[in-house]
Amino acid sequence: MSEPVSTVITALISPTQERASAGLMGAGQRLSETVGAEHVVVACGPEDSESASGLAHGADRVLLVRSPALVRDRQEVWLQCLTRMGSELNPAAIVLGNDALSQEITPRLAHRLGGASIGDAQTLTAEEGHISITRSVYGGKAMAKVKLQGTPAVVWVRAPSMDPARGRATPGQIEEWDFATEPEMKIQLLETQMDAGEGDRLEDARIIVSGGRGLGGPEPFEKLKELAKVLKGQTAASRAACDLGWAPHSWQVGQTGKKVAPQLYLASGISGASQHIMGIADSKAIAAINTDPNAPIFKHCQFGLVEDFHQVIGPLQEKLAELLA
Amino acid sequence: MNILVCLKQILDPEVPARDFSLARSHLQADPTCADLVTNIFCENALETALQLRDRHGGRISILSLGPASVEDTLRKGLAMQADAAFMILNDTGHLPDSAATAKALAAAIGKLDRLDLILTGHESGDWGAGQTGGLLAEELGLPFIAFVDEIEETGPDRLILRQQNDSGWQKFSAPMPVVASITNSDHNLPRIPKIRDIILANRKPITSWSLGDLELSPDLFLPEHLLVRVTELTIPQAKGDCAFIEGATKEEKIGKLAEKIAAIARSI
Amino acid sequence: MNTGEATREVFWNISHGWIMYVLLLPTMAIAAYGIWRRFRSWRRGLPVAGRLDRPGERLLHLWNHALLQRHTMRERYSGIFHAMIFWGFITLTIATTVVMLDHDFGLPIMRGRFYLYFQSFFVDLLGLLALIGVAMAGFRRWKTKPVKLVYSDEASWILILAAVILATGFFLEGWRIVVTADPWGTWSPVGYATGFLSAKFFSLDTLTALHRWCWWFHLILVFGFLAWAPFTKMLHPLTSALNIYAANLQPAGASLKTVDFEKAENFGVNRLDQFTWKDLLDLDACTECGRCTEACPAHAVGKSLSPRDIILDLRDTLHRKGGRNEPDTGLIGSTDALRPERLFECTSCAACVDACPVSIEQLPKIVDMRRHKVMEEADFPETMQQAISSLEKRKHPFAGTESSRTDWMRELNLPHASEAQDAEVLVWAGCGTSLVKRNQKSIRSLAELLKKAGVKFAVLGRDEKCSGDVARRIGNEFLFESLAKENIETLKKFNVRRVITSCPHCFNTFRNEYPQLGAPFETFHHSQFLGELIKAGRLKITAASERRIAFHDPCYLSRHNGVTEEPRALLQNTSRNSMRELPRNRRNSFCCGGGGGMSFVDEPPDKRVNRERAEEILATDADTLAVGCPFCTTMMEDGINAAKGDRGIEVKELAELLNEATSGPNPI
Repeated sequence: MSEPVSTVITALISPTQERASAGLMGAGQRLSETVGAEHVVVACGPEDSESASGLAHGADRVLLVRSPALVRDRQEVWLQCLTRMGSELNPAAIVLGNDALSQEITPRLAHRLGGASIGDAQTLTAEEGHISITRSVYGGKAMAKVKLQGTPAVVWVRAPSMDPARGRATPGQIEEWDFATEPEMKIQLLETQMDAGEGDRLEDARIIVSGGRGLGGPEPFEKLKELAKVLKGQTAASRAACDLGWAPHSWQVGQTGKKVAPQLYLASGISGASQHIMGIADSKAIAAINTDPNAPIFKHCQFGLVEDFHQVIGPLQEKLAELLA
Repeated sequence: MNILVCLKQILDPEVPARDFSLARSHLQADPTCADLVTNIFCENALETALQLRDRHGGRISILSLGPASVEDTLRKGLAMQADAAFMILNDTGHLPDSAATAKALAAAIGKLDRLDLILTGHESGDWGAGQTGGLLAEELGLPFIAFVDEIEETGPDRLILRQQNDSGWQKFSAPMPVVASITNSDHNLPRIPKIRDIILANRKPITSWSLGDLELSPDLFLPEHLLVRVTELTIPQAKGDCAFIEGATKEEKIGKLAEKIAAIARSI
Repeated sequence: MNTGEATREVFWNISHGWIMYVLLLPTMAIAAYGIWRRFRSWRRGLPVAGRLDRPGERLLHLWNHALLQRHTMRERYSGIFHAMIFWGFITLTIATTVVMLDHDFGLPIMRGRFYLYFQSFFVDLLGLLALIGVAMAGFRRWKTKPVKLVYSDEASWILILAAVILATGFFLEGWRIVVTADPWGTWSPVGYATGFLSAKFFSLDTLTALHRWCWWFHLILVFGFLAWAPFTKMLHPLTSALNIYAANLQPAGASLKTVDFEKAENFGVNRLDQFTWKDLLDLDACTECGRCTEACPAHAVGKSLSPRDIILDLRDTLHRKGGRNEPDTGLIGSTDALRPERLFECTSCAACVDACPVSIEQLPKIVDMRRHKVMEEADFPETMQQAISSLEKRKHPFAGTESSRTDWMRELNLPHASEAQDAEVLVWAGCGTSLVKRNQKSIRSLAELLKKAGVKFAVLGRDEKCSGDVARRIGNEFLFESLAKENIETLKKFNVRRVITSCPHCFNTFRNEYPQLGAPFETFHHSQFLGELIKAGRLKITAASERRIAFHDPCYLSRHNGVTEEPRALLQNTSRNSMRELPRNRRNSFCCGGGGGMSFVDEPPDKRVNRERAEEILATDADTLAVGCPFCTTMMEDGINAAKGDRGIEVKELAELLNEATSGPNPI
């Protein structure tokens, strides 16, 4: 066992959704307990003291960073802030979420602190003085356990699929962290464009209805959209369907697309290549509609229907509208 | 503009499950169980560079690290019309070694003429650690942007980079030189090379360095020296306990399916 | 009367007959110039081997398809009228030659019985047939108006001219008979009747005068026609005959050219001089009959591909100053028919090639132009690019497949070629069979059948790569060659000489294309091999079904290789019910839509070739569609599922059906 360390930092720097934040908090809390370390949560503050007190229920300490410069596009500012925090607190691990900013700064933060970094952790543990994670590799065909041999271990995790933090009897302490330095901004934000799509981003969606090559053309994807509306969910597609131009690339789920973790992933006409499964493995429930009972997708399903999607979609949507009315 | 694109050769991520197998060490995949291909995000990166050169001119170098077989990846890059190719020979296997990789790439970059833009794929289709771009930027002390899918030149020393983020995209102005990791979009699907270019690419020279040539320790890639080390690799077995919805009629089955879905939808 | 003296006076009623000889000179000169121009333009093409060898076979081919009009006769109405016109004019030309030999060369042959039987009666009759033929052609052109024809003024004038020349001929003959009171006149019944009727309305003096004028009119028309013909499609009696003589005597599946990548300056064709001389002769051989486009499956389902218009537009470009006035941007895209997206609608089914009565090869030209788009410009449909990319990376075109090449062999314990030196034959699965889940059942059935029959065979497993067919048809000859060479090397390494495959595309490649690369194999489609096993008693039908089986002929078996009866012989054994023939069967089979790389293209739902074929199948009373090609299996299953409604019909591969029905000495 190497020199005992005392802190696990959970960096909640760019929350995208409640569930993702909760999962991230949970991951950090459990790791800190395994390591026997203090759990420090870093968040942007202090405008919203109410949410800060919420965080305090899952942390020993909450550090609200006070800086006018901390906004989404300020990668450099967050990097400097966390670097300074890292050098002062000497954490065993810094845990980040799966938002773009966290993913972006993970390796740089590790490099600056002389630690080790990795992304897309599905589980997070500590063994023999080192942080270990598991993650899906080789296009979903294998699961690797990876030991981070540098300290701190800087890891971003699949936050939305992780269990939330256990509530503490006594909330942790809330402190403010002044970060007055304004680093030289080499990179400047010019323009921001939000997606026209309604609702959650795919990574955070609770219900996803998804279509693949088996749908046979672009038209059925319109029907999927209607079904998603009934379920208040999002639509997605397999790579094959996106490559054929039936659905936009922003819908793509899988190894080279989005990695999602909904409560229900309903796959229609998707055979279930491992690269696709890799993107949906964290779903709470997977269901499929496919004509081929031997399609690999069914191996990953909780429930499934062997039928032709075209004959199912209409009645299914009606029935669901009725049930959920 | 001088652009460098880092290309990684990987085991084909589309290898059918039945063919996929582990190496005897059980710490990596059997490199002979599938074809070796260029990582798709790296190809997206090269395509992004090619489009930039098509519009603004410049020179594109490609660099790859790995065993002798990476020559195929570099030849394909040359066929896509990269101007020059460089390889760092390293036979220590296909381990997830982003930090060591970034060190080696940075050392090679030190040997090249001044670069204005350095691109990597945003992650690889084998280990998918997604760390190399950021680490390389740190090694070189350069600014970095991840998830870039479009690049425009705006002046003699600045670029506009479009980043895909959680809810849309943002455009940044960055000074050159800059490091960016490239993700896929509708606009950077790798081009198919022309046959003549494939034939010509086979005749172009490739500069090859050993770790020693780059004044790097031969131990750089030894597992015990790596910051990230694989301790276990398993092939997960799908549960295969799907409850198929049964019913006498199609209507009945659809009804049952709807109820199952509705139950989940209500619980949210 | 003494028939030995029967003859007629040449130049009766005509003075200054010498003028005819004077006019003949410029006529021949103009015609010769026209022919020379065409000849000169063909010479711009590249050399090509194997087009003038084997004169015996070529003369026989010419005899059958030019003189006997066998191919033209495949279509009844137009075949009949064309033969009537063709043989009519041939006969009239011979008759005119007889006159010339007798009158100008002093050979007394226009005498006696020959004069009566041939020169009078037969010629008169054939002339009438020709006239009826022209009338039938006119009826089609101006009344029924099928879309496949080209409605040009030129074509109309040709018919009018032919009609007037024939009619004036009969008038001349009739008036001479009636005025001279020709004692042999009744031997020319049509002429006789014409004269007889004319005499009812006109005096003999008037007829004599009319005859003189009409004679010169007729002469000028004939000479005019002769001089004009080489500048119109009426050169086709010459060009089509040459083309039929120089036809591809190989199976249609062997018609694509190889490329020498070491030497070639261009890959594919975008300029006329990149075609071979035979390709250019093809263009001038075209008679605008439209049968190719009518046969084209892409065209039939409403796509814009038209092999006829491709040929005609290339021809028009060739005719403009002998082709020197080509569009700067090249041929592809220079006209509507030559638009690149149309070239990529072709399924390479060769229905056009097979339909052409004058041996034009449309398909190799389409592939030549695809080659230019693919190899020179890398500009072709995105979904085909994905197939090509996958071929480059993984040596199979099925991007995203979850199947392994060894999936189908599970539990069969099949020996790999490296460890089966005593194997009689190698089973070549092909990507379409091993990597598409549905088709694994077919190849398993084949393996089981061979095991039952006690055949010692080997497989290649993961050492098998795409035969190259898909790459070649899409137009990536470079990739084809590299895949082919890789396979040939593997097969040589394991000493493989005999190959069975259930994929007609692989079959065609092994049979016709690997030999072009110096690697001949004894190749069997499984229908052939299994048929032999039944004949030899190694497989026995023990459980014939009650299925009503219709067979969908795969293009690469039937049209490309002439294999049509073996699958039928096999199928007839498997059921007690007789086979149902689809309306379009054997060489006339209608493509499933999956060849030529098209199974990798997402077709608009209302323009799918498999739908058209599915409807044809559903209109029969068959309950089983037998297929013999992995592409057909998936295309037809999709097509039938989309179209069948409540009608039950099962798509089964040949080997699956046979496997159900047979037993053999060995247990599986």
